[in-house]
Amino acid sequence: MPVNISRRRFLGLAAAAGVVAVAGVPLLKKEASSAEEGPKARYALIIDTIKCTGCGACIEACRLRNKLPEGLSYIRRIVKGNERNRWFLMVQCQHCAKPPCATVCPTNATYRREDGVVLIDERLCVGCRYCMQACPYQARVYDEERGVADKCWLCLPWVLGGGLPACVEACIPGARIFGRADDPQSEVAQLIASGRAKPLHPEFGTEPSILFYIMQEE
Amino acid sequence: MQTAWGWLVAIYLFLGGLSAGSLLIAVLFEFYKDRERHDFFPITLAGATVSGPLLILGTLLLIFDLGAGRREPWRIFFLFANFSSAMTWGVWLLTSFIPVSLLYGFLEFLDIFPKARQWLKDRRWLRWTSFLWNLPLRRTKRIFAGVGAVLAIGVATYTGVLLSAVGPAIPFWSTPLFPGVHFPLMPLLFLVSALSTADALTVDIIATLFAGGRFPYSRRTHLIHLALIIAEALLISHLLLHAFGEGGAAAESARQIVLGQHAPVFWIFIILLAIVFPLVGHIYAAGLGWHMLVSGLSSGISILLSGLFLRYLILVSGVPAFL
Repeated sequence: MPVNISRRRFLGLAAAAGVVAVAGVPLLKKEASSAEEGPKARYALIIDTIKCTGCGACIEACRLRNKLPEGLSYIRRIVKGNERNRWFLMVQCQHCAKPPCATVCPTNATYRREDGVVLIDERLCVGCRYCMQACPYQARVYDEERGVADKCWLCLPWVLGGGLPACVEACIPGARIFGRADDPQSEVAQLIASGRAKPLHPEFGTEPSILFYIMQEE
Repeated sequence: MQTAWGWLVAIYLFLGGLSAGSLLIAVLFEFYKDRERHDFFPITLAGATVSGPLLILGTLLLIFDLGAGRREPWRIFFLFANFSSAMTWGVWLLTSFIPVSLLYGFLEFLDIFPKARQWLKDRRWLRWTSFLWNLPLRRTKRIFAGVGAVLAIGVATYTGVLLSAVGPAIPFWSTPLFPGVHFPLMPLLFLVSALSTADALTVDIIATLFAGGRFPYSRRTHLIHLALIIAEALLISHLLLHAFGEGGAAAESARQIVLGQHAPVFWIFIILLAIVFPLVGHIYAAGLGWHMLVSGLSSGISILLSGLFLRYLILVSGVPAFL
């Protein structure tokens, strides 16, 4: 027997369902975020270009830890200066507060965690490589084998377990300093507060929030 | 020089512009006052019917260019998700434009070939569509033409928005239209090029082949095309001059185009085939009032070829910001 439902009643029910659905979304979101909530750390990785010898140990350590194929690494070396004074700029994901890669990512595969680390959800990535174009630091690499864009993830599982990113562990001259910027006693917090460690190319407007550099005088 | 996007994306950008432009040209003629007096009109027929298939081809190329999305095609549905991404806007535009342009092309085909309409009407297995045949064909077609035209402007400009949205990462792509104003040049350049290439396909080639180049308003059409070619030349020179003036990565892009490794493509395919040669052909056609077979075909083919190379050139010369 068909259920008789008047048009007015149907519209009323539909409207009620809509209200419940709309109101429910923020509740669900809140629940999801509160489950992840821990102590809100703020990490900082400072690269001292005065100490850096450009040996490339960080590049190789990154490649090994992340099991990347030969020749691929999340860190890239740029040679700067002139013949008399050559120095090296090691570039990787700057973990921007306003990441353009996340803005342009059509699938929302790129996202920023509460603690500022920018990550990629590999399951959502289609491999369109738009993020590679939009990153002014050219910090993205493309993994042909998996067909997804990839980048530095600050070795997050190691860091959350109390360890260090591979590049920091491997740095021979000790040019990489890693720590928590939210702890005022830490070396990184003091370097940032003193103004010696600065974000790279702030004029890009992406507000790098984890990587800082102590720059050579040019 | 960026290496993430190559020929497949260049062909897609070209086909997207050509498809949207073809529909716009068809719609322009569709709404001329005395269009109804002509039973056979090759420009509207060609423009409306090629638009959908060209964009489908372009979209397939784009999907083929994907990484994980090609191997696991269901991931393509994720592309609709991020409304702050220019690529998501494009995906929505494509999915709405393709059916509209296909339907408009089909209705235009039925309008021009009444025998085909009759044949379809007589099919027994299509009897359930009888209510559709009572609709006024012209008016229904014009509704799709209007909606299609709005979407087509979106599709043609969006290919430029896609590139300029990368902002400071590739300064050449985000060159502003006016110095100091935050409004990019690339969408306008791509729209003008889209109209010019579509004009080359529908008017210079198809109309010359099937109507001997003589159709109503042909002189005015050639004058408009002349204006499009001049506008494209002005936009390209503005783009290069601004890039040289800006210095840094943008100047390096311009240097590669004018003097560097891409100079052969630029001087042959852009200066010669996109500007000088069609300019001569269209001054001739506008003076005469119609295209001769040789001038129509040659300038049409050169504009089409140069439209493809313009996309390619802009893609390969995208030098990332210096660090």
